[in-house]
Amino acid sequence: MTKPDATHSETATNESSSTSPGAMAVKIYAPFKVYFEGEATSISAVNETGPFDILPKHHNFLCMLVPCTIRIQTSSGVKDVKINRALMHVKADRVVVFVDV
Amino acid sequence: MRRPLEIKAEEASVRSVVSLTSALESLSSMQIAKTKNKVLISNQFFDEVWNIYKQIRVDVLFNFGRTPDETPIDKELLILITAKGGLSGDIDQRLIKQFLLRYDESNNDVLVIGHHGALKLKQAHIDATYYFDLPEHDYINVDPLMDIIKRYAKSRIFYQDYVSLSQQQIRDVDLSEVVSSKGRVADLDTLDDNKITEKTYIFEPSSYAVAAYLENSILRLTISQFIYDSRLAQVASRFKAMSAAKERSVDTANELHTEYNRAKRSQVDTRLKESLAGLKKIRAGGD
Repeated sequence: MTKPDATHSETATNESSSTSPGAMAVKIYAPFKVYFEGEATSISAVNETGPFDILPKHHNFLCMLVPCTIRIQTSSGVKDVKINRALMHVKADRVVVFVDV
Repeated sequence: MRRPLEIKAEEASVRSVVSLTSALESLSSMQIAKTKNKVLISNQFFDEVWNIYKQIRVDVLFNFGRTPDETPIDKELLILITAKGGLSGDIDQRLIKQFLLRYDESNNDVLVIGHHGALKLKQAHIDATYYFDLPEHDYINVDPLMDIIKRYAKSRIFYQDYVSLSQQQIRDVDLSEVVSSKGRVADLDTLDDNKITEKTYIFEPSSYAVAAYLENSILRLTISQFIYDSRLAQVASRFKAMSAAKERSVDTANELHTEYNRAKRSQVDTRLKESLAGLKKIRAGGD
């Protein structure tokens, strides 16, 4: 497998987003189940490196999550989703968590 | 000619077959709608993961998630996805037929999913090396399957593909080729801003670890997708078989009904003839 380009750039690639200012479009789903879909102001989860938060305007990000509870902060409250294995993809204020992959 | 009562009894029994096949046909029809909907939903998920994989994967040598120091078994593993039981039409029979064209005892090990396929293999005097029940639930844990696949140098999967309600095809594909082909497309497609590289993305724990994880995930999803496709094709094949059986039993019941009417008419005619003959005799005796 070829290593992806080694040079790291600090510039985030923020594309046009249809979300409200200060919010992110979030979808957490498995092949047959949508755990959460909507706007959120922050997401907390855990990967091999440790706990982390995703906030609006986050840099493009791809990571494997370890078994944990994902905490989604929305304008109407907090929602927790327990996961076993997942992949998180963040791009242009859109966060998608693929559960059970 | 048979007696009308006998024919009537046989017709009643065929009518009950009509009711049974009709009920099974309706059941299969409902299962098709349900399974098809699930396949569509899951495809959306698979496509999105594929899309990420396409952008990150730049090498076409898919190695089943094996580390370089692992030596695989130098055989091709043939994986058969079949139905869990009978009443699925001829689809499993066709799959076994296609499998037999490729099977070579010295070069292949066999992994069967589904009880019906295992039975068919036994009939063909082939012992499967591995066996798994066909998963019935939405969530399919393919990890035990992955552990076996990783041990082999090559793996080929025989599965059933839903084309339409009346057409289901048997397909066989090389697993590494399926995954690599997506990678090859990616080589051309990812030469734009969507490319997922360390320039444009943060990877955690590392780009290698994420790529390796995705490679495993893609294999897992590919196998799951083949199982979902096969399940849909199997219910469609069952529907087709039940429709054909219903049509045949309706035809038989109608033929028996006509035969019954003829026998009944013949019986009435015979009685009438006998009565007329008796009447003639009485009249002849009276003169």
